[in-house]
Amino acid sequence: MAAETVVHATGLRKRFGKRTALDGLDLSVGQGCLYGLAGPNGAGKTTLIRTLCGILRPDEGEARLLGWKMPSSRVRSQLGYMPQDFAVYNDLSVMQNLEFFGGLYELRRSQVRERADELLERVQLADRKRQRAGTLSGGMRRRVSLAIALLHKPRLTFLDEPTAGVDPKLRRALWDDFNRLAEQDVTLVVTTHLVEEALRCHLVGFLNAGRLMTQGTPDEILAETDTTNLDDAFIVLQERGEARP
Amino acid sequence: MKSLAVARNVLRRIVNDPRTLVLIVVLPLFFVLLYGNSFSGSYKDLSIVIVNQDNGLASVRTAEVGRVTLDVNLAQAFVDALDPSMFDVVPSDDPMSAEADVGRSGIWAALVFPPSFSNALVNEAVRASGERRVEIDGSNVTLLPSDPIDGPKTILVIDDANPLIASAIRAAFDDTFGNVLATQQSSLTVEGLLDIRALHGGAIRMLDFTAPGIIGFAMTLITVMLTAMSVVRERTTGTLTRILIAPIGAWQVAGGYTLAFSCIGVFQAAELFLASILLFGIRFVGNPGVVALVIVLFTIGLQGIATLISTIARNEAQAMQFVLFLLIPSIMVSGVFWPLETMPATIRPLSYVSPLTYANAALRKVMLAGGGFGEIRFELAVLGAFAVVMLLLSVLSMRRQAYTA
Repeated sequence: MAAETVVHATGLRKRFGKRTALDGLDLSVGQGCLYGLAGPNGAGKTTLIRTLCGILRPDEGEARLLGWKMPSSRVRSQLGYMPQDFAVYNDLSVMQNLEFFGGLYELRRSQVRERADELLERVQLADRKRQRAGTLSGGMRRRVSLAIALLHKPRLTFLDEPTAGVDPKLRRALWDDFNRLAEQDVTLVVTTHLVEEALRCHLVGFLNAGRLMTQGTPDEILAETDTTNLDDAFIVLQERGEARP
Repeated sequence: MKSLAVARNVLRRIVNDPRTLVLIVVLPLFFVLLYGNSFSGSYKDLSIVIVNQDNGLASVRTAEVGRVTLDVNLAQAFVDALDPSMFDVVPSDDPMSAEADVGRSGIWAALVFPPSFSNALVNEAVRASGERRVEIDGSNVTLLPSDPIDGPKTILVIDDANPLIASAIRAAFDDTFGNVLATQQSSLTVEGLLDIRALHGGAIRMLDFTAPGIIGFAMTLITVMLTAMSVVRERTTGTLTRILIAPIGAWQVAGGYTLAFSCIGVFQAAELFLASILLFGIRFVGNPGVVALVIVLFTIGLQGIATLISTIARNEAQAMQFVLFLLIPSIMVSGVFWPLETMPATIRPLSYVSPLTYANAALRKVMLAGGGFGEIRFELAVLGAFAVVMLLLSVLSMRRQAYTA
């Protein structure tokens, strides 16, 4: 049986002044899918995620999450979002950050604590929970941000560059976690400018200049481009796009 | 040379930021224009009640024809000599209610001429100057001093809650009465002629008069700055986006901000009042509960201003500049130092839209004159409406920020 479509975008177009950030983009992601959105800086990954989440309103087209046209308040409690910025309160401790956002999702204090312990263990910050977020390194703050995004066990999670600035060992552990979450039927849309990272995803979409150049499993994309790694595949697709009249 | 490079870099960044550039160029000029206009006005349209019981007649002895009655109308002469642009004279027949009206409904003073004002003044003048020749019905007669009669004591009740206006009214009356007395060659002084009753016993100093406005301004500056910077920081660090994606309404976010900063505002106000009273003996004769209500309504409105500032400011530095741009003028136009009654007509519209005008007026009435809810109901209504409108605008602003973050 085909998985339920939880992300469905059609003809998304978004312009900032004269610059086109999204150029008539269509996207469909099924439940329990770990979807990798890869592309160079400025490709439109963040704009796409922000438009899908309802933070930005598209100039044209529409986005539906969990069946609801965005922006909609009905999906908020089931939505997880980790922005590219750290988006944590530097003047609060790690635990206080989690407590505040947990409160917004109506989690009880005991639930927040239990869940925070579990997540901080997973992002290897269990020994830092009393430390002020502002005194953590950039990579650590990103992990706090990730823990906040996953705190309320969202059904659909958008992670914007979650592994940027994270060391290779932890990056691998995080991708293992993302896969484990997908196995639990959580849908994850993860952006990365490290194209090779997208190998860990079920489905990969290559984004360039606001357009989805291709979409498929990593194997399908490698076969389509006759390459052995996604970096090369991306370059081949980019050159094909530029050669097209 | 490296310093030059740093300086050039700083200037280039400012030139690349049109909002900052506009503020740098416009702000000083704006302040000077505002300052000049606010402080260059003169007193206009001060309402005073005059009860003229003077029958206008003076009965005097003459050497030639015995006692005659002169129609001199000296009280009316005084009223006619008042500067019509400065005073808006409200005539009354009832001395009791005239005196009771002072300090209410914008009445600054009440002047009650006794029935024998002209008679007493003329006879006193003749006694003082000795025999004098005057022309009555075409004949020269000699006025003779008569026995002393009751003095021409005139009651002046004056609202001294605003020491500046009180002293301006005193000065104007001194001049006018002085001229009338000089014309009559009286030996009386203005002090001797007037029985002056200050509504607050002259206990209100300039320090007391300006304290409510200064406290209100300090609160405005601190609260608006704190809130605006805080919201801008939320937006620029991404936490606002994160909040607004969570299942929480924009009105709940705005409400949370309002609640937090209202508490801070009330705490600050308490601190400012206590310090002012304990350190400088500022007059506070009103009900602290009424003052607290004024502060809460005022602070809620200030949150809205701060949130609106945070909508247009791209960063914290710009937020700070907008705060200064909006708030520094408020202390000039809100009657804190200089009464609204003296503001030029061009400036008054700014006074009427500044919430500090109403907070200042309400705090003054309560702190200095012991006013209650009844006396400040107009100011409370304006501050209440201001709070509601600003709260709504801050909700809309939060929604907008969610889409521009």
